[in-house]
Amino acid sequence: MATLRDKAAIAGIGATEFSKRSGRSEMQLAAEATMAALADAGLEPSDIDGMSTYTMDNNSEIELARTVGAGDLTFFSRTNFGGHGACAPLFQAALAINSGVANVVVCYRGMNERSEYRFGAPIMPAIPDSQNALMAYHTNHGLATAGAWMAMAMQRYMYETGTTSEDFGHMAVASRRHASTNPKAFFYGKPITLDDYMNARMIVDPFRLLDFCQESDGSVAIIVTSAERAKSLKQKPVMIRAAAQGAPRGQMALTNYYRDDISPTDEVALVARQLYRMADLTPNDIQAAIIYDHFLPSVLPSLEAYGFCKRGEAKDFVKNGNVEIGGGLPVNTHGGQVGEAYIHGLNGVAEAVRQVRGTAVNQVKNVQNVVVTAGSGGPTSGLILGVA
Amino acid sequence: MEAAEKRHNAQCSNRDYDFFYEGLVDRKILIQQCAACEKLRQPPEPMCPHCHSLEWKTKAMAGSGKIYSYVVHRHPPLPGFEMPHPVGLIELDEGVRVVAALDPIPIDQIKIGMPVTAEFFQRDNVAMVRFRRA
Repeated sequence: MATLRDKAAIAGIGATEFSKRSGRSEMQLAAEATMAALADAGLEPSDIDGMSTYTMDNNSEIELARTVGAGDLTFFSRTNFGGHGACAPLFQAALAINSGVANVVVCYRGMNERSEYRFGAPIMPAIPDSQNALMAYHTNHGLATAGAWMAMAMQRYMYETGTTSEDFGHMAVASRRHASTNPKAFFYGKPITLDDYMNARMIVDPFRLLDFCQESDGSVAIIVTSAERAKSLKQKPVMIRAAAQGAPRGQMALTNYYRDDISPTDEVALVARQLYRMADLTPNDIQAAIIYDHFLPSVLPSLEAYGFCKRGEAKDFVKNGNVEIGGGLPVNTHGGQVGEAYIHGLNGVAEAVRQVRGTAVNQVKNVQNVVVTAGSGGPTSGLILGVA
Repeated sequence: MEAAEKRHNAQCSNRDYDFFYEGLVDRKILIQQCAACEKLRQPPEPMCPHCHSLEWKTKAMAGSGKIYSYVVHRHPPLPGFEMPHPVGLIELDEGVRVVAALDPIPIDQIKIGMPVTAEFFQRDNVAMVRFRRA
């Protein structure tokens, strides 16, 4: 049976600094990250023949290609649903490369999602197209931020599993511990205690301030080539061992309130099943996990969906250093999007690449395979990256 | 349907959703029901996902249910709402869930499982529904 396993690899990664005010345009950020990624790979802009990103990026595939002086493009795509699609560009790149339609694909995200606009602001849908009318069906009642939408799902998870705010606090402390030793992180040098977490004000019950990812300016770019090509380039190749998207029957974006389990689990589990099958691996084969933390509490059902622990047991799994460096399964070794920056998931993919290469600041020992996830609670995506 | 033909003035609605907001004007929670196979569907869709009929009717709910989940929005301020603003996901007796505000209920009393009943009101001149303790 044909498989995508190990057909494509990540040959280069690049990023700008992450800040609250980049002082330059989103297009410039994306161009800088792309050039850095190309340099990392030992490739030139003229080598680029594919571009792939995900929605809510204001840099079009062709405009970025034009800006860096890319060659003819034979593949370009954009996957929907914002951060839920964060791993999808690499999935798309692998598909394109495996089928021979492109050779060097740039996957990117560049945004001034702090200095120019803010994802934390209330959503106020206007033109009544089908997407907006569905959102308004919820926002008209005053459920109007992404945080509130996820909080509704996670409140029920807490009720069904007995998970408490303090349990989430352990994951927050772990994430901030990792960020505190990461010079690229906004919270470098600033770990937190469980008291800090519990004393932080409620933003939308049950979510506290330290449950929220940052708002950040910055860009990340990732160069995907065939596995064979990557092996001949500058860096240790990082294999795309598996890649998948998932939207279970009836899936909605952040308003999955009408299915049996309203927690952000079903879509993650659908992706996880596909990843393990494609990679021919089990949870025991994974040494580190980058779990999307738009809202930190949602990391817990994701850990369960990936089979690292059973349903309802993540609240114990995240305690006693188990998800920290040195623990059983280090999670978000860069500090996550709560700790490092919020580049809509792509900075998490970059961290997974570093973990496989052995170049991470918070390096996990003996990494063979790393799980990377995109945003849960909506149509999602994921990757398993591994050593060649 | 042109704007002048709509019987409601709720924000951001279209042909597929107008029935719901018109229902609120009539002080009813209306849920779509497939005219062919009778299955209820929520949220609204123009086609039945089970039998694919494009014909549908509406069913008025009794307005009674239990809190299935809830949040309390505190920050950032929501234009048109008083902070803090509690919102619930209500599981109606008919087995269908709806999102609606819970502001009649003191925030520290809101609990999953609480029996609630619908209350129809006007928010800024727009017919709406929220829930209070039953």
